[in-house]
Amino acid sequence: MKSFFGKVPFLALAGVLAAGAAAADTVKIGFNAPLTGFAAADGKSANIGAQLAVDQANAEGGINGKQIELVVYDDQASPKNSVPIANKLIGQDKVKIGISGSYSGATRAAAGVYQAAGIPYISAYAVHPDITRAGDYVFRTSFVGEVQGRAGAKLVGETLGKKKVVLIVLKNDFGKSLANGFKEKAALFGITVAGEYEYSIKDRQFGPIVSKVKADAPEAIYATGYFFTAGPLVNQLRAAGVTVPVIGQEGYDSQKFIEIAGAAAEGVVITTSLDRDSKSPETSGFIAAFEKKAGYKADMVAASGHTAAKVAIAAMRKAGTDDPKAIRDAIASITLQASTGKISFNKLGEVRKDVQVQVVRDGQWHHYSVISDDKLLAPPEM
Amino acid sequence: MLAFELFMQGLVQGSIYALIAVGLTLVYGLLRILHVAHAGLFTLGGYIGVLVTNATGSLALALLTAMIAVGFVGMALYRFCYQPILDRPPYVALIASIGLFIAMEEIFRIIFGPYGLSYTAPPLQAPIILLGMNLKAAEILTMVGALILIGGLGVLAGRTRTGIAWRATVKDPQMAESFGIDIVKVRYLNFFIGSALAAAAGVMVALLNNLVEPTMGSVPSYKALAIIVLGGLGNVRGTLIASLALGVIESFGTIYLGFLLDRDAIAFAFLILVLMIRPQGLVGRSNG
Repeated sequence: MKSFFGKVPFLALAGVLAAGAAAADTVKIGFNAPLTGFAAADGKSANIGAQLAVDQANAEGGINGKQIELVVYDDQASPKNSVPIANKLIGQDKVKIGISGSYSGATRAAAGVYQAAGIPYISAYAVHPDITRAGDYVFRTSFVGEVQGRAGAKLVGETLGKKKVVLIVLKNDFGKSLANGFKEKAALFGITVAGEYEYSIKDRQFGPIVSKVKADAPEAIYATGYFFTAGPLVNQLRAAGVTVPVIGQEGYDSQKFIEIAGAAAEGVVITTSLDRDSKSPETSGFIAAFEKKAGYKADMVAASGHTAAKVAIAAMRKAGTDDPKAIRDAIASITLQASTGKISFNKLGEVRKDVQVQVVRDGQWHHYSVISDDKLLAPPEM
Repeated sequence: MLAFELFMQGLVQGSIYALIAVGLTLVYGLLRILHVAHAGLFTLGGYIGVLVTNATGSLALALLTAMIAVGFVGMALYRFCYQPILDRPPYVALIASIGLFIAMEEIFRIIFGPYGLSYTAPPLQAPIILLGMNLKAAEILTMVGALILIGGLGVLAGRTRTGIAWRATVKDPQMAESFGIDIVKVRYLNFFIGSALAAAAGVMVALLNNLVEPTMGSVPSYKALAIIVLGGLGNVRGTLIASLALGVIESFGTIYLGFLLDRDAIAFAFLILVLMIRPQGLVGRSNG
């Protein structure tokens, strides 16, 4: 049914905010993100985050004297849009590097196009493991789902000491890869999975699952999802009298989650990439600058967009040329302090960094702990 | 006990489906149009509900405002979108309706932003213990509200002159017109009532989720079509039965078949199964 009532393809490019006619002596960075449709909120945050990094770099003099221009197209988080956009960015806009501020489906499809053209491509926050497997020109500044799921298992089993856990899993590559990582390491931390329930990304009413979870009487709930599914879920769990800890991930990481879940959000703990109470000037500076630019609080997606653009700019500066091969090599060897922490890449192009654990206290995200366990968090090498 | 809880959760969901699908089946019964944009009116109801509640603190006022305002928007949709193309084949109206629905989603996004809106102080969140089960007050309101609204519709259709004129028009528009019934008025009334019910559903869903978003109509846009087919197109009683049945089936299916099929897939598997056994729908096509 979705294809029948889904968005008509030719509408896909409507409302696109192409950055206008470009002056000849700018350096262009391609950017695809969902600016309309169901994922528009995340696309907007990622876009503002990336634009902020570009503005900051331009204020410092751009790249080797040239101003940077972020060329943005709306992909509606759909592969059928991201592929033509990738072709357009490479063929028509002649970008030397691309960034995905989009979800896994769209990013994975576009990654193949960039790889084939020999243009570097950085996924800001899409989690599917196959994205970087497109080839050696594709990088990722966020955790693959499995890595973050493993961190979740450590958080639940070791830090919180909860052993009987129910999983509520968003049925897409994001939610399922997180759950897989969690289950993979559950036994290591003494966790038994007492039940596992799946829901679709369109679900906002979880009455039946909540009833079943209550009957299962777990010690904790590990629920994968985004703020717009997790907000109603946590709200409904608490309303039904379920009081055990709820553990989430970076998909929750938005002030909007707290707004939707209301008082029920208090005490929810998540694994993510952005530490709100960070002492690092890079992170605190980003949080302040983003809120000023966007008019709302920074979230994980915004920080990831900012980080990806920062990596792209740093690599182009380091390469000193607009040769895509030199830029690729520069990314591969980079070590950088970004708003999401100190990052570098492994040989598959996966990021290496710590997992930030945040908790909701008094209606705000706050620092809870940091998981830095190189072995547990080792991203896939191939 | 779990079975009872799942059954009740199914009824809550079914009540929402009923409020949305009744308007859709009314429009189909009268005009033979599959009014996909109806789901956009449901979303609009949710937005108005949240905005008015946040501004005034009164949920009752918000519900009333949403129902009346969306009722008029529904009439306007009929006047400016459907009426000019009534003499075209039905697929023309269907395409117009789908286009309208997509446009509405994007207009909501442009006006209200992509993040969706929530109640600043969500009303009716207190738990109420009923037969040993925790229900949110909002869930009870949803069920009772649906019962009252649809019951009221039944009284209007069955016991009043307006209702008789309405049913006569559905049954035989030409004959009704020759008896002096103003069929254009009946159509406006039809859109007003159907849209107002969808708006009520939007307000209630906003209460249950504490979230209205531009795309919140996307599931109802097609699921309500499945429901009215299940209920026998144009048949209000059948639509109510189909709504509640689907709510309950989804509720159990989410838990016991969730590893295999998601909620929507269960709904459509049920639809296919019913149509294989009873091609006329659960209750069959009504003539009036």
